[in-house]
Amino acid sequence: MRRLSQLGQGEKAAIPLLLFLLVGFAAPLLAVIWFSFMPARTFSLFAMPSLANYATIFESTSYISFLWSLALATITVILLAIICYPVAYGLVRVFGKWAMLLTLLFTIPLFVSENIRLYGWVLFLIKNGVLLGSLKSMFGVELESILFTRTAILLGMVYVYLPFMLFPLTLGISMVPSETRDAAFDLGASRWQVFKEIELPLSMPGIVIGFLLTFVLAVGAIAEAKVMGGQRIIPITHDIEIAFTYAQNWPLGAALAVLLMLVVGTLVLLALRRFDLDRFLGRK
Amino acid sequence: METKGQRVRHALITAWTLAVIVFLYLPTVCITIASFTASRYFQFPIAKFGLDWWDKTFNSIEIRQLLSTSISIALCVTVIAVTLAFFGALAFARYDWKGRSIYQKLILLPIFFPQSVLGLALLLWFSMLGLQLSWMTAVFAHLVWIVPVVTLVIAIQVYSFDPALEEAAFDLGATRWQVLKEVTLPVLFPGLFSGALFAFLLSWGNFPLSLYTTGADTTVPEYLYAKMVAGYTPGVPVLGTVSTIGAAFLLIGGYGLILASRRAHQSASE
Amino acid sequence: MAVRPTILSLKSVRKIFGTLAAVDSIDLDIGEGEFFTIVGPSGSGKTTLLRMLAGMEQPTSGDILLRGERINDLPANRRPTCMVFQSLALFPHRTVGENIEFSLKIRGEAKDKRKVRALELMDLLRLPQAYYGKNVMKCSGGERQRVALARALAYDPQILFFDEPLSAIDYKLRKTLEKELKDIHRETKKTFVYITHSLEEAMVMSDRIGVMREGKLVQVGTPHEIYSSPTTRFVSEFIGDVNVISVDVVAGGRLKSTSLKGPLKGPVLPKGFTSGHLVIRPEFLRFIGKASEADNSVTGRLYNEYALGSRIQYQVRVGERVFIVEKLRQQMFTGKLDDEVRIGWDAKDSILVTD
Repeated sequence: MRRLSQLGQGEKAAIPLLLFLLVGFAAPLLAVIWFSFMPARTFSLFAMPSLANYATIFESTSYISFLWSLALATITVILLAIICYPVAYGLVRVFGKWAMLLTLLFTIPLFVSENIRLYGWVLFLIKNGVLLGSLKSMFGVELESILFTRTAILLGMVYVYLPFMLFPLTLGISMVPSETRDAAFDLGASRWQVFKEIELPLSMPGIVIGFLLTFVLAVGAIAEAKVMGGQRIIPITHDIEIAFTYAQNWPLGAALAVLLMLVVGTLVLLALRRFDLDRFLGRK
Repeated sequence: METKGQRVRHALITAWTLAVIVFLYLPTVCITIASFTASRYFQFPIAKFGLDWWDKTFNSIEIRQLLSTSISIALCVTVIAVTLAFFGALAFARYDWKGRSIYQKLILLPIFFPQSVLGLALLLWFSMLGLQLSWMTAVFAHLVWIVPVVTLVIAIQVYSFDPALEEAAFDLGATRWQVLKEVTLPVLFPGLFSGALFAFLLSWGNFPLSLYTTGADTTVPEYLYAKMVAGYTPGVPVLGTVSTIGAAFLLIGGYGLILASRRAHQSASE
Repeated sequence: MAVRPTILSLKSVRKIFGTLAAVDSIDLDIGEGEFFTIVGPSGSGKTTLLRMLAGMEQPTSGDILLRGERINDLPANRRPTCMVFQSLALFPHRTVGENIEFSLKIRGEAKDKRKVRALELMDLLRLPQAYYGKNVMKCSGGERQRVALARALAYDPQILFFDEPLSAIDYKLRKTLEKELKDIHRETKKTFVYITHSLEEAMVMSDRIGVMREGKLVQVGTPHEIYSSPTTRFVSEFIGDVNVISVDVVAGGRLKSTSLKGPLKGPVLPKGFTSGHLVIRPEFLRFIGKASEADNSVTGRLYNEYALGSRIQYQVRVGERVFIVEKLRQQMFTGKLDDEVRIGWDAKDSILVTD
């Protein structure tokens, strides 16, 4: 074991952050994993471990919530990929000097709490709200509100996670050198061929990160379902929250969380295994 | 090459992007409009305009307490995050050491993680340790996901840092500490500033982590959430608008400062 | 030299960005099978010009004709031309073979036919056959140059464009590749249009050179013409170090310098020449003992000497002026630094140019 003073500069610089994450991230997660094996509705750590909680999950309706969370997250990712790709393409290749201003505009909402922004949608969509109220007063049309439907939840999720798909995609597209694109054109490729052979493969790191980040965050969404969806869909995060708070059933909550962590962890591991972060983030 | 097809494509992309921006800002606009009604309930088109609720909100002691809680948390988070992230970013991008690529991926894990689950995990952890939940535990919780983000922000700047600068200073006789103080920190300052800005704003606006870890203390997002779920309260749009404008202001201001300093540097070196 | 049919013709081609004319009305005819190089400093507009010829940019006005047909509106992917980029622009995620075959693959050619062609080109460019499946980023700088060239030649384009491909390589490799490019030009018999900022490089490879400055073509000619008969000071200063003396024509058709005493014996006056510069290349100056040994002479101090491989360069200070003299190593000057020396040149070895 090398003495502290013999460690290189890199190792020394890494220590504070690693220690912090050990205590603040690794430890809580390990605690959760351990708790998931404890008997239900207890707070003790020293009982006999068992898989009882996991059994409960599969016998109850919790796994439905789980599937709903996964489904919502998947649809969100697909929708956002379609919505964001043209914008990302524009930011890199079309907007020129406006790109910085536009990026700033896209960044600002990130810092406003998501429930405030979702509330704005409530005001927009609610009966007598901005949309329906104007329709009523201007055209005399009375429509049903789409609030508190599944569509509304999806709308909320697409809305909240947009920047998390947009920025990695933009970074990925900017990794395609424009001379390489020009060369493909010059060699006779059509627009579609250039996209398929050159742009798509070379921007893949950005696409992977965008998909991964959006999915992982979306699977942990809770506010959208509550604020915009009423009780139409109960995502898994809601079940976890109830288990931890109202139901006072920490072991069950922990087990649910562990399942979610397994899904997330597997995806992250697979995607980032051979990922070259240096090249992606712009190492010169 | 500017063919007609390309021009059409570019126009479509521009139109689409503008539509997305409108989509993005629509709720904020609605909230701002709503903050100007004088009536107790929300109805559009607005019958009575007035600044009554602005008045009531700013004079409310409860609101002041919320603001102070949120700001205190954000300030603590900023200071600690930037310090930890500074060293973390150096390890991430500046030095070559064994284990760096694993380190990079480990640092990213808290970002690729559902926040609400993280919040609940920390709740469990704090309770296990017997800690009383308060704004201080919230600071810790915020740090867990914010420090990696800030590390990334600073690391991006560190990547374009020329190590020859440090070597030159060292060669001229400076100690390692002096090199850090006189060369590394000033050159990386824009990155640190952006990182601080991110840390403050991300903490200020955070909901999932605060919800589970603030205990008796309440932050602005938590308060707003409780009110929202309970039904319409006119104070909510006011506070929401203040929150949004504050964030936009800080972001634009910070960004402007960075641009200005970059221009000053460029003209100085010309 | 046999007259070649014109393959590429530029008529009053202009490109304006905002208020700046990057290319300011260029007229040029390039012969089929010619190796034509456009030389100019950065900002002269040569890259913009090349991109217009290749189809990456559209001229603001003027016509580009390929064998008499106007191709302004033809996009790059439909022109029978191919460009080798400055950065080479190789596809980093593909192998050597895949890069070379790209233009054939997208035209739908069968796999085995593509491979035959690729290997054929690899032979021509002296790339080992074993490299076919090698990832292109693992090749050396010189090898990547060859892959880029092979890729451009694959579908047999009529004209090849080169955007300063050798500017980022080290000296020795560059010298080798320059000669190889000239050899390949000879073997493929295609038209090469090349741009560079180095006149030296252009002279190695080209049949004709066009010197460009601030968007205009200042002089077009063979390498010999550009070197020995430059028409302006700019062109004459473009290669190596030259000695330039400002002169005016005085009564009797004689030359007088503003800075040197005494009359100067110059070459035959070009028509309409009233003032300009007298240019003497360093290799035409020599160290002499008496003023009568040359048409013109000056005295000064030997300030310094520089060894340039096979030649030695001497810096002689005459008052405020600096003269550069070059001699072959075998004939080097035997004087010492700070000696007083006399240098001279003959009238026939000097050139008169305008600004």
